Amino acid sequence: MSAPAATSPSPTTASLAVKFLVAGVAGLALTALGYFLTGNHQGVALSYLVGIAYWTAVCIGMLLLVLIHHIVDAGWSTVIRRQFEHGLSAFKWLFVLFLPLLISAWLNPGLVWPWMDLTHVLHGGHGTVGSDVLYQKKASFLNLNMFTGMTVGFFVVWVWLSARLRKASFRQDADGDIKWTFMNRTTAAFGIPLTALALSFAAIYWMKSLEYHWFSTMYGVWFFANCIRAGLAFGMMITFWLCARGDYRGIFNTNQLHCLIALAFAFVVFWAYITFSQYFLIWNANVPEETFWYNIREHGDWVWVGMLLLFGHFFVPFLLWLSYRRKSTLGPALGISIWVAFIILVDLCYNILPALKDAHDDPLPFLSLNLLWVLTSVVGVGGVCVWAYLKSFPTARIIPIRDPRIVESLTHHEATAP
Amino acid sequence: MKETYGLIATFDTTPRFYSACEKVRDAGYSQWDALTPFPIHGLDAAMGVRRSKVPRFSLAGGITGFVTGMSFIWWASAYEYALVVGGKPYFSPMYAFPVAYELTILFTAFATIIGMFLLNGLPMHYHPVLKAPQFVRATDDRFYIVIEARDPKFDAARTRALLEQSGGKDIAELEE
Repeated sequence: MSAPAATSPSPTTASLAVKFLVAGVAGLALTALGYFLTGNHQGVALSYLVGIAYWTAVCIGMLLLVLIHHIVDAGWSTVIRRQFEHGLSAFKWLFVLFLPLLISAWLNPGLVWPWMDLTHVLHGGHGTVGSDVLYQKKASFLNLNMFTGMTVGFFVVWVWLSARLRKASFRQDADGDIKWTFMNRTTAAFGIPLTALALSFAAIYWMKSLEYHWFSTMYGVWFFANCIRAGLAFGMMITFWLCARGDYRGIFNTNQLHCLIALAFAFVVFWAYITFSQYFLIWNANVPEETFWYNIREHGDWVWVGMLLLFGHFFVPFLLWLSYRRKSTLGPALGISIWVAFIILVDLCYNILPALKDAHDDPLPFLSLNLLWVLTSVVGVGGVCVWAYLKSFPTARIIPIRDPRIVESLTHHEATAP
Repeated sequence: MKETYGLIATFDTTPRFYSACEKVRDAGYSQWDALTPFPIHGLDAAMGVRRSKVPRFSLAGGITGFVTGMSFIWWASAYEYALVVGGKPYFSPMYAFPVAYELTILFTAFATIIGMFLLNGLPMHYHPVLKAPQFVRATDDRFYIVIEARDPKFDAARTRALLEQSGGKDIAELEE
């Protein structure tokens, strides 16, 4: 293994960053046009929530991977950790992009989250939200002040942890001081429970509370599984990009790739375990307060979206990644990762969009114009996130060259030859 | 006179040993082995060892376990003794899944262990190298290459010359 030859990125990323920023602003502008011109306020707003939730999941996944790396004092993942640290720079922009949803919650309560509007009439002659005992019992948790405070709190946690992790890692490049490694380990020790709580509550407030009658103890960990899978999928795309550019020449080898994809493979199984458990417990108990959530999702074309998730989110990546070759060669690993990144978006649509109801309180179909607004939102928010990553990219070396584990990572060896 | 098992050569340093393995590999030998006191990273590639076939046993075991779990529950609760439980269908992959999943893991584990022992030939209570006096340092600081006589390319003189060229010392014949 040669010494790390590439110390700073060779071709400039500035023009690429501008392209992503332009795409992002265009996506956001189209989403805003859709909101103001089509009159489909709720559809556009929920589609925008899909876009925000998706990219937040990607960033939370990267944050968790860095935190887990430090808490277990991992070796092999040192070479790719730097790219996740760049990805974390998007959190502050995600907060800025969340503000429209927060403002709409105050100006137009009930637009996205029905429980915010106490006068919202429940279907079937069940009165209003304010008179609903199931809301009243949850009112100390589900109210606008709590929602606002908690959402700000989530981003404070994520931005603050990211800033600490980035500072320590980047400073170590300059002075090589071991104290930065210990600082990151401390950050990880308290950061993991904080991040876990923040992402669970975010999933509950942002997505689960769209159907505030419903409850599932699996919901936070379902979002966690998607976060990690999203972080790893985008980690793989970044890896491929850096290999194609040549930055990773002599740095990234088959064994690190195999470890990265083996981790992604483990989380394929973990996602299936969690998602199946949620479905199975509700199916088995057969209590109307819980089953209605899945009944909504068996209406119209949503049943096929559920099937797509079952096979596309679990069986396809599971069976493909059983093979060693597809875990250890760049092309197949990238292809399957892109598919996973796409299907996570479908999973979020499956959880968010059925909150859009017709006059009979049935969900609006999946295949609708709203998918266009999902697309513009994902491109809009994503363009800004990728721009933030690319803006951070040239500010540090391609790998943490003075990390105490970097040599171990560069020479990482898996027991069997390819 | 006992039959010859093969030739053994001793090496002092890892780099020399590593390149010797590459030479033996490139000479086209297939029935030979490298013996070291500790794992040497990358030696598999230097020896040209292919990936283990154990995963195929694992996959077969996993599929068997999954099919066993699903079909046994279908047979028991929907075919042989159909019984309504909790208002649920006689058979649904939902409730059969936890059992099928556990059996997948169990049978995969069994097949992996059995496959490993079938392929590696363990337990092995005797091996010809144990009779070579220089082999005592195999647990300390020496590295050995053993080329077996049953290898189709084996030729006492030429194989010995190859091992000598590669830097092997104390080259000796091993008895069966």
